[in-house]
Amino acid sequence: MKFKAAASSAPEVDMTPMIDIVFQLISFFMVITNFEQTQADERVKLPADRLAKPAEVKRDNELVLNVGYKRDKDGNKTDPRALVFYAAQDIPVANIGPKLKIEQQVFKDTGVDLKEVTLIIRADAEVPAGLIQMLIKLSQEAGFEKFALKAKAEETAG
Amino acid sequence: MKVRGSGKKAEKVDVPMAPMIDVVFQLLIFFMLTLNIVAPEGDFNINMPIGAPGPPSDNVPTSIQVRLLADPETGQLAQLQVTGQEPYGSGPAAFQRLNTYILQQTGAGKNPLADEIEVEIDPDYEVNYEYIVKAISSVTGRMRDGKLQRFVEKIKFAAPREARGRVAG
Repeated sequence: MKFKAAASSAPEVDMTPMIDIVFQLISFFMVITNFEQTQADERVKLPADRLAKPAEVKRDNELVLNVGYKRDKDGNKTDPRALVFYAAQDIPVANIGPKLKIEQQVFKDTGVDLKEVTLIIRADAEVPAGLIQMLIKLSQEAGFEKFALKAKAEETAG
Repeated sequence: MKVRGSGKKAEKVDVPMAPMIDVVFQLLIFFMLTLNIVAPEGDFNINMPIGAPGPPSDNVPTSIQVRLLADPETGQLAQLQVTGQEPYGSGPAAFQRLNTYILQQTGAGKNPLADEIEVEIDPDYEVNYEYIVKAISSVTGRMRDGKLQRFVEKIKFAAPREARGRVAG
């Protein structure tokens, strides 16, 4: 049997389409990546609402308090107490007062008027309202005046 | 004048692609791993000046009190009430009725005193936070053609009530 004698040469792969796609992907990920340091805690399951739209203008001074439950993988509560997830610590709502005083002092030391600071409460949908009111009361005692309650944006027709 | 090399055949320049592809893949993996998809969030402002820590404001004619009664064990909404109105019930229709009532009170933005209207949310201790958000949302306004039609801006909480059932703090 006779074989055709072919000169062995490295096959030339056309890289252009691959580079096109890879650049497309990089552009996509660059555009949608958000490097902003948010103080949101993933353990908090916010309630959803139609009117909750992201603010067009970002507030200059804000303090975010995350209130939620410790949950397992299936979303069941492992601790019945609602906790404030504050700087890698889990603090019961009733004991957050001293931490708020520290925050107030930090704002004062940096020359920020507390009237300009918005205290944003990100609470789990199942947290009792009484605890939110307690949190607001403790924050008022620490000197905070402006409050906002967070909710997840809900996309519904109408 | 003689141009050097003008007579030569144009040669194809061989650009080394391997380093570029290395870097490009590194970048791609970096952006893929740092990607953090976060659902958009919005917030509702609450008007709680320190001077007035939730005193009863029934004597002010422009104040509307929204009462949320809870099932003490589960925290589910048992009844939604507005001062001087029949109880609204507890389902989504209750919040719809609240929304309609506030719309009537504010005159869909035509009432010159609409800015003066203040709504006080008075929930039971146990009622779940999600119902507070629903009540505040119903009072704040409604979406029309993708735009927010605002009814009331002054929303505050009444003084906290005592816990009766579950105490989860």
